[in-house]
Amino acid sequence: MGTSVQVSPLCGVYNENPLSYLVSIDGFNFLLDCGWNDLFDPSLLEPLSRVASTIDAVLLSHPDTLHLGALPYAMKQLGLSAPVYATEPVHRLGLLTMYDQYLSRKQVSDFDLFTLDDIDSAFQNVIRLTFSQNYHLSGKGEGIVIAPHVAGHMLGGSIWKITKDGEEVVYAVDYNHRKERHLNGTVLQSFVRPAVLITDAYNALYTNQTQSHHRDTEFLDTISKHLEVGGNVLLPVDTAGRVLELLLILEQHWSQRAFSFPIYFLTYVSSSTIDYVKSFLEWMSDSISKSFETSRDNAFLLRHVTLLINKTDLDNAPPGPKVVLASMASLEAGFARDIFVEWANDPRNLVLFTETGQFGTLARMLQSAPPPKFVKVTMSKRVPLAGEELIAYEEEQNRLKREEALRASLVKEEETKASHGPDENSSEPMVVDTKTTHDVVGSHGPAYKDILIDGFVPPSSSAAPMFPFYDNTADWDEYGEVINPDDYVIKDEDMDRGAMHAGGDVDGRLDEATASLMLDTRPSKVISNELIVTVSCSLVKMDYEGRSDGRSIKSTIAHVSPLKLVLVHATAEATEHLKQHSLNSICPHVYAPKIEETVDVTSDLCAYKVQLSEKLMSNVIFKKLGDSEVAWVDSEVGKTGSEMRCLQPMGSAAAPHKPVLVGDLKMQDFKQFLSSKGVQVEFAGGGALRCGEYVTLRKVGPTGQKGGASGPQQILIEGPLCEDYYKIRDYLYSQFYLL
Amino acid sequence: MASSSASLKRREQPMSREGDQLIVTPLGAGNEVGRSCVYMSFRGKTILFDCGINPAYSGMAALPYFDEIDPSTIDVLLITHFHLDHAASLPYFLEKTTFKGRVFMTHATKAIYKLLLTDYVKVSKVSVEDMLFDEHDINKSMDKIEVIDFHQTVEVNGIKFWCYTAGHVLGAAMFMVDIAGVRILYTGDYSREEDRHLRAAELPQFSPDICIIESTSGVQLHQSRHIREKRFTDVIHSTVAQGGRVLIPAFALGRAQELLLILDEYWANHPDLHNIPIYYASPLAKKCMAVYQTYILSMNDRIRNQFANSNPFVFKHISALNSIDDFRDVGPCVVMASPGGLQSGFSRQLFDIWCSDKRNACIIPGYMVEGTLAKTIINEPKEVTLMNGLTAPLNMQVHYISFSAHADYAQTSTFLKELMPPNIILVHGEANEMMRLKQKLFTEFPDGNTRIMNPKNCESVELYFNSEKMAKTIGRLAEKTPDVGDSVSGILVKKGFTYQIMAPDDLHVFSQLSTATVTQRITIPFSGAFGVITHRLGKIFESVDSSTDEETGLPALKVHERVTVKQESEKHISLQWSSDPISDMVSDSIVALVLNISREVPKIIVEEEVAVKSEEENGKKVEKVIYALLVSLFGDVKLGENGKLVITVDGNVAHLDKETGKVEGEHEGLKERVRVAFHRIQSAVKPIPLSAE
Repeated sequence: MGTSVQVSPLCGVYNENPLSYLVSIDGFNFLLDCGWNDLFDPSLLEPLSRVASTIDAVLLSHPDTLHLGALPYAMKQLGLSAPVYATEPVHRLGLLTMYDQYLSRKQVSDFDLFTLDDIDSAFQNVIRLTFSQNYHLSGKGEGIVIAPHVAGHMLGGSIWKITKDGEEVVYAVDYNHRKERHLNGTVLQSFVRPAVLITDAYNALYTNQTQSHHRDTEFLDTISKHLEVGGNVLLPVDTAGRVLELLLILEQHWSQRAFSFPIYFLTYVSSSTIDYVKSFLEWMSDSISKSFETSRDNAFLLRHVTLLINKTDLDNAPPGPKVVLASMASLEAGFARDIFVEWANDPRNLVLFTETGQFGTLARMLQSAPPPKFVKVTMSKRVPLAGEELIAYEEEQNRLKREEALRASLVKEEETKASHGPDENSSEPMVVDTKTTHDVVGSHGPAYKDILIDGFVPPSSSAAPMFPFYDNTADWDEYGEVINPDDYVIKDEDMDRGAMHAGGDVDGRLDEATASLMLDTRPSKVISNELIVTVSCSLVKMDYEGRSDGRSIKSTIAHVSPLKLVLVHATAEATEHLKQHSLNSICPHVYAPKIEETVDVTSDLCAYKVQLSEKLMSNVIFKKLGDSEVAWVDSEVGKTGSEMRCLQPMGSAAAPHKPVLVGDLKMQDFKQFLSSKGVQVEFAGGGALRCGEYVTLRKVGPTGQKGGASGPQQILIEGPLCEDYYKIRDYLYSQFYLL
Repeated sequence: MASSSASLKRREQPMSREGDQLIVTPLGAGNEVGRSCVYMSFRGKTILFDCGINPAYSGMAALPYFDEIDPSTIDVLLITHFHLDHAASLPYFLEKTTFKGRVFMTHATKAIYKLLLTDYVKVSKVSVEDMLFDEHDINKSMDKIEVIDFHQTVEVNGIKFWCYTAGHVLGAAMFMVDIAGVRILYTGDYSREEDRHLRAAELPQFSPDICIIESTSGVQLHQSRHIREKRFTDVIHSTVAQGGRVLIPAFALGRAQELLLILDEYWANHPDLHNIPIYYASPLAKKCMAVYQTYILSMNDRIRNQFANSNPFVFKHISALNSIDDFRDVGPCVVMASPGGLQSGFSRQLFDIWCSDKRNACIIPGYMVEGTLAKTIINEPKEVTLMNGLTAPLNMQVHYISFSAHADYAQTSTFLKELMPPNIILVHGEANEMMRLKQKLFTEFPDGNTRIMNPKNCESVELYFNSEKMAKTIGRLAEKTPDVGDSVSGILVKKGFTYQIMAPDDLHVFSQLSTATVTQRITIPFSGAFGVITHRLGKIFESVDSSTDEETGLPALKVHERVTVKQESEKHISLQWSSDPISDMVSDSIVALVLNISREVPKIIVEEEVAVKSEEENGKKVEKVIYALLVSLFGDVKLGENGKLVITVDGNVAHLDKETGKVEGEHEGLKERVRVAFHRIQSAVKPIPLSAE
């Protein structure tokens, strides 16, 4: 029996909710992605909370909120404690995305679902892999190999291949087959016939993707048009994902056109993001790494883009038309929201959406057609406390501090009592004049009015206050005093001194301004007010999502042609559409489970291993077909020394077998082949190929699909008895191998 | 010479083992240091590791022995790191030979490779004929080089390989190659010690079958890093304190960066030294800084943390010098200059000026190739020859403090003990050092299960690996696991080195191939009665089933369950069948028959009795033929008792039972031959059974 595989979605099926799926392989539970949305709705995570503690490994595919947003929360609150696997960029940029989310949220609300420390600790245990690295799991997952492969879409974005006993489970969501400026296209097409493919149907119904060349021209034209009339352009973007592509397009265009309009990239972590991205060249497209190798020209040394990490810098920027890329893309929080509210009522301005907003967010509302004239927005702001509030706050803090101190001292007393209890009997009582010390001691607790020094607490059972005495005994053996070798080791201090004080801050890599922002502990509060924003600026949406469109999804799946297909993450219509399409033309086993519905996609494949004996192999004549070689074998199972079965040549003549024609006939290619042989050929109606005057050739049967991988091909050749018929039949045979 | 003796030996091997033979031949770096290049082939796959030059020579003499191999047969060329002795003959090999395989190196290596070789071409002042390649060749080679990331598995023609961090220099890699399950680890230059900016070499997850390992340090043990660094800084400090000058000849890239980090930090901690300049005379290194800043991820955590605050490669106390013209020799100073071997160039110019003053010092910071001046002065000769040919006394102090990130004996032996490879091949070490290392390693692995070899250049090491080919039977064919004696028949699909056996119907499921059925339909003009065809076919073929076509109601015939003959209209009949050789033959005979009927007026032939008679006659005929054939094969064949044939060959007698095919006799060989011959004769004279399934 094959490896057992079960899939149960925890979030993100039949809708566009964040992605999170549980895949269990022979009892080893993988959590594929751990996403959340920009609204941070804990109810989405309920299914996850029920299984979080049973998860053995988490695989992350992209560095955005939808794919990893819930990781800190799940680690802290839901009992998720499994090791996390991701590529280096997903880890780094994911961390920055979460910082940005947290800081944006914290700025406008009393956000308390997770803290910066939670983010740090969640990302601390990420095991970083490189693309195509086969990582062998150990322990419970012994025998399982995981490997991330290029997905396109985002920097470091991965599709995951999980292999056990030669059976492959591929998890591929949000891939992009098209090569972009900073990313290579996905390698999903190179996977052939995995046992299970888990993929999204997100774009299944979306087909009219414009050519990237036209799209870029339109994008830049739209922007420059608004800039030239003195308007500002806002691009609500994600923190560290798709924004990189946009930055490159703008940077490139600006250097070509020598535009003087400033471009600002404004997120709480923008400078760290770009610093990191600069060192991720090996994860980017071939052209970027090539240009670095040959001319040491780092594409992300942005000359035209100014990186900002707070809004004041933008407000202080010289007035005039500008392009601002700001997070969050959903306009639910972050600088983008503030800027939108400021700019929305000027018709010269442009808000350019580069991706579909998440469901239920302001961005999505603005993208509806026709766009709303007015939107009601709750604007919140964190303001420092002042006046009475500040005093009240401080008093409250002091009270808390006092209580804390009191509690601590009580605890300490208890400890001291416990630890020094037995000691004092043996020690000499020390008499202290209590009267002289009386005034020195503070007002804490009535019991110890006569303490001499802060922190010194006399044991309660002693007759008089005294200093605790510890007998420092040394162990001796026959060689003398027992020593600890570690005390004599020369430490590696001198060299590491330089490094030590460096790595202290939150992440070791955030610039000081951000860090100070994060660690800002000034007392503050959130105030909110609702306002109606008149939307008079232009709203434009262009597709820079970096996902394959419906047609490519279908052809990719058809090419991969998995034995079993699981569809996730798409609207109900899209899921249903792709399901029907796949059932008809790709594979008979298509599943689209609902939330918490477990589907068993264990392959019904039987397999056993045999050894091929030298004697058998010397008689086998292989025929080469594409990258593989085929041959027919007739053999007999023989014994070997070990338990292995061994195939040996047949003792007697083999029973003749039904001949098999192996090969893949493409009508188009065959047509060319025939015409090269001087036969007149043309396509007649219905896919039939008319060869010569009388003979027709057609493919029949249910296999209408290209690739022909879904079943044996059926070819019908018909014609009257004539010489041509036999000639063409011979040509046809020459396209196949007869086994 | 060596190779011809190897090829002689090869011929002695039995043919069947040919495929199992693994050959490792150093084309360079065998019992020497420099021009690393190791050739390996197994199962028709060929790999070349590294492609270096010997920095002590120029022109063709510096190349590895490429003549020994056919470059066009090499599938993959793997470069471990950017040092000249590992990568510098690559442009030559790519552009001037017939090589057409694929080349891989890490990202950082590729970025530095170009800078380094361009510099090498500019610096090496050799005649045009001696130039192995020019800048143009280097630029062209860049397009052919592919990059590989650490741990990334790449497969080329069934050769799987991936690389591990090797320490040594930025981007240095150890390659693990897997061909048909046999793993070979090539360490290149490696170091198991973490330093200021590099990680230590990783310990591979899997134990290799063969470990091709460097032996530069031989049986030496390195001083601990702290002592080494202290000696280094102490020498410099005391020399400059006495008004002397310090020359550090170092190769522009790699270890130099480490030394600069040490110096910069030492100066930062000693304010009294701040008035003493440190120069770094290499424009090349300046260019490479961008690379060092970008591939920070390939370095260790220490440097990455430091990078958070400021770039550690932006030195505060070190200034760059472009040439000796910019250098003003006015007082104590520290100069690090290339080339490391003091062959020529800036470091040599300074050496010539400074070598006679005993206040000055020269620190040789790493391994030096035999034949270079730097190697010579380590032994502190009384006099040296200057570049202008004159001799001068060598008064300056010479210190050899090895910072070369090569594994020392302790590291090598622990590394090997962890890996426990059954075969160890030593390369990249001087003959004597290598011999000593070999001896010492023998004592470490006394069980005799470990083979340690140190081939000379062009001397092949031949190893044999069991060629057990494993196949996986899958799909319908595997529904029942067969027992011993059962037969397994199916399509064997070979892809790379993996074999799968499957039923034809499953072919499209488990591979990219697909099967096809070709249905043929042919129409023949025929205006006679369909009954005639039925009758005639019945005479010729054993099985002819009559039926009527469901749609048209016209009669149809099925011949041998293969070919359907249908009456299409008054004037036509059609034949339909699914292509395979037998059906094609059957249909051809039907076509012939139909055409015959149309041509001639049907004759009534009565042959019933003849048929019965002919069966007997046939039996006799068969016997005659068998007898005649056996005679022609064995000569002496007599008819014995019970209808048995007695065959005598060279006095050995065998009895053959014609009915059962059983053979009795003393001589095994004869028995076997008779049995086979009889079997073949029988299958030749008996009619072919039509029922194929």
